[in-house]
Amino acid sequence: MTATTPSGDVLGTGVQGSLPDGATPVARSASGGPSGPSGSKAPSTFRRTMARREARIGLLFALPAFLLFLAFRFGPAIAGVGLSFFDYTIGDTATWTGLDNFERMVNDPIFWSAMRVTLILSVLIVPLSLAISTFMALLVRRSFRGSGFYRSVFFLPVVTSLVLAATVFTWVFSTGGPWSQLMGLIGLSTDSWLGSTTLVLPALALVSIWSRFGYGMLILLARMQDLPRELEEAAALDGANAWHRFWHIIMPQLKPTLFFLAVIETTASFQIFDLVYTMTGGGPARASYSLVYQIYDQGFKYFDLGYASTLGVALFIITIVVALVQRRLIGRDK
Amino acid sequence: MTMPKKHVVTAIAAIASLGALTACSGGGTTGSSTPVPSDGAASGSVTMWTYPVIADEAAHKKFWDEQIAEFTAENPDVDVKVEIYPWAGRDETLATGIAGGKGPDVVYLIPDQLPKYAKSLAAVDNYITDNTGDLRENAAKSVSIDGAMMGAPLIMNSKPLVCNAAAFDAIGESGNYPATWDDLMTLAPKFKDAGYDVTNYWGAVDATLNESFYPLLWQAGGSVFSEDGTEVAFDSPEGIEALQFVTDLAEGGFVEKDLLTTIPAFEQTRTAQGKIACTWQQGPGDVASFWGEENTVVLPSLKEAESIGYGTVGSLALMKKAENLDAAGKWLAFATRPEASAEYAKAAGWFTPYTSQTGLYGDDATMAALEATLDATTSGDLNEKSREVMGILAPEIQAALIGQKTPEQAMKDAAAAANPLLG
Repeated sequence: MTATTPSGDVLGTGVQGSLPDGATPVARSASGGPSGPSGSKAPSTFRRTMARREARIGLLFALPAFLLFLAFRFGPAIAGVGLSFFDYTIGDTATWTGLDNFERMVNDPIFWSAMRVTLILSVLIVPLSLAISTFMALLVRRSFRGSGFYRSVFFLPVVTSLVLAATVFTWVFSTGGPWSQLMGLIGLSTDSWLGSTTLVLPALALVSIWSRFGYGMLILLARMQDLPRELEEAAALDGANAWHRFWHIIMPQLKPTLFFLAVIETTASFQIFDLVYTMTGGGPARASYSLVYQIYDQGFKYFDLGYASTLGVALFIITIVVALVQRRLIGRDK
Repeated sequence: MTMPKKHVVTAIAAIASLGALTACSGGGTTGSSTPVPSDGAASGSVTMWTYPVIADEAAHKKFWDEQIAEFTAENPDVDVKVEIYPWAGRDETLATGIAGGKGPDVVYLIPDQLPKYAKSLAAVDNYITDNTGDLRENAAKSVSIDGAMMGAPLIMNSKPLVCNAAAFDAIGESGNYPATWDDLMTLAPKFKDAGYDVTNYWGAVDATLNESFYPLLWQAGGSVFSEDGTEVAFDSPEGIEALQFVTDLAEGGFVEKDLLTTIPAFEQTRTAQGKIACTWQQGPGDVASFWGEENTVVLPSLKEAESIGYGTVGSLALMKKAENLDAAGKWLAFATRPEASAEYAKAAGWFTPYTSQTGLYGDDATMAALEATLDATTSGDLNEKSREVMGILAPEIQAALIGQKTPEQAMKDAAAAANPLLG
């Protein structure tokens, strides 16, 4: 139960919800072992000893990964925060500049433009992605002939190279491409969406959603498989239609999973880069120039690593703030 | 309580995104130096980084193996290693290599890159004095910063005007190729009526302006930077004239619209489909296989105030922190001598920067015509902030091309944003 509940695994609800009286798996395992001949004190001491031993072994197993994480992730990240207070370009000495980089960022119109683009993309991507993931999970929830095939097909974009997909979608959205022909059929302009300052972000959002909805679908599907069917069956007997069963029974139980997905999708959409890089290069006229693209430009095109780190710190803070807001809005009932 | 853990995970994920950048932190030195070669034989190991200049990897490796063998026969105490890296991400690789103290001793750079790495480079003037006697003036200028040569020119190419003879035949203008902007604009409606574009313009913001807008700026008599490099000069009347010209091409529907904002696969473009008359952004090697060798005509660059096009120079640069600087400098001089340059250039389909090494391609009329344009090329001003300025100017040009701004406004806005970088 616990291992097959992604939402429980990640959010820490599965374990507590599936075991009686808050018993831990370790405690339950220990209780099945040999016990002392009399009273409850001896088994309790034994359980505690075993638990501590297993905890130590667990920590030992986790230690290599933790040390690698500290060395190659956390350490450099902290150094990156430090670098944001320096003026440093490759080949030059690092000079302490205090908050100058942050002042520059606040007064940089390109930063605010990139921030606007990033936020708009997130607003477009996250809700739509969650809605489509939920809908697709509901579609393939029941077992039917070929359901496994459909689940695989829907998940396929997640494992497809994003750069490859972006190249194909650049053609799809080009003037005369399939998308513009479709628009022509319904009487709209056949101009390339990627060449429009208004439509470029919806185009990128569509491709981003296409590439990620399978992941959300999989997580939600796993959660849905765990939901007790009795509640739905009882509601159906009471006359609740499909929408009511979904909205009043399934949806509340999906809330923790949806919160998890919202955080993941928001973080991913804030860090959107590959699609923009491949499909538009940030254009037209900076209409799709995202924050991570600016970090890339400053860091690896202009080698202004101090300022790039400052932008990275800003992105980190924004991501945290948005996650906290999401927690208030979605996760407050948990 | 599990929510805080999620935030910790999110925080760590976000912090981790900074990690890639911080990997670039490290020491460095300022200033430049002009080392002098020693009289005796060099010794020590030398590592050179280059890229697939010769597309055939085996042929490329063989060339350098032969050069190394010849060099070490004269310098037995030097151990030279040539590493061929992919083009993609070469700046990231080099920058992080230098910052981490794991960079090369000698590296292949083009003029566009030199200012960025100048603080890490040593001037090579004193090492290549034997090679520079017949070096083309523009090639020498393209690698010089403050009068010092920061790279030893190895190969050279040119992007003049290339026209599609079949397109001119199709509209009944056989051989009437444009020489000036006016010629091109006069022909434009005729081509449009026949279903052709008179030219192409790659306006995507991540496409280099060296091959798209800057040639027009130079042809109009303008330049990107002022002479002292302390401010931009593209907002001059010449710059506005150049942007007006390309804006007119876009507004008239004389160029492929999608290219103004995106970079589609080349095979998907009207250029590759032969639905174009002329281009200054593709070389004959890029289009001959699509247009046919017989239809690919190389011409001098277009002229407004002058006829000039973009040309680049591949050079070998010497890292100031090379462990065995003298050995690296002597290897660099050996590898860029005129004879080696000619052999390398021919294998790569380029030319040499030396006037003594011409006619590499025998009777090939197209290559002979291309070679004849080498002296009428420039790689532009070398400025430390050239890429940042390009990053600011390109979106403004694009804004003019899609009708969001007038050329005057676009240039004014770009100059206002770029000048603080240079001050």
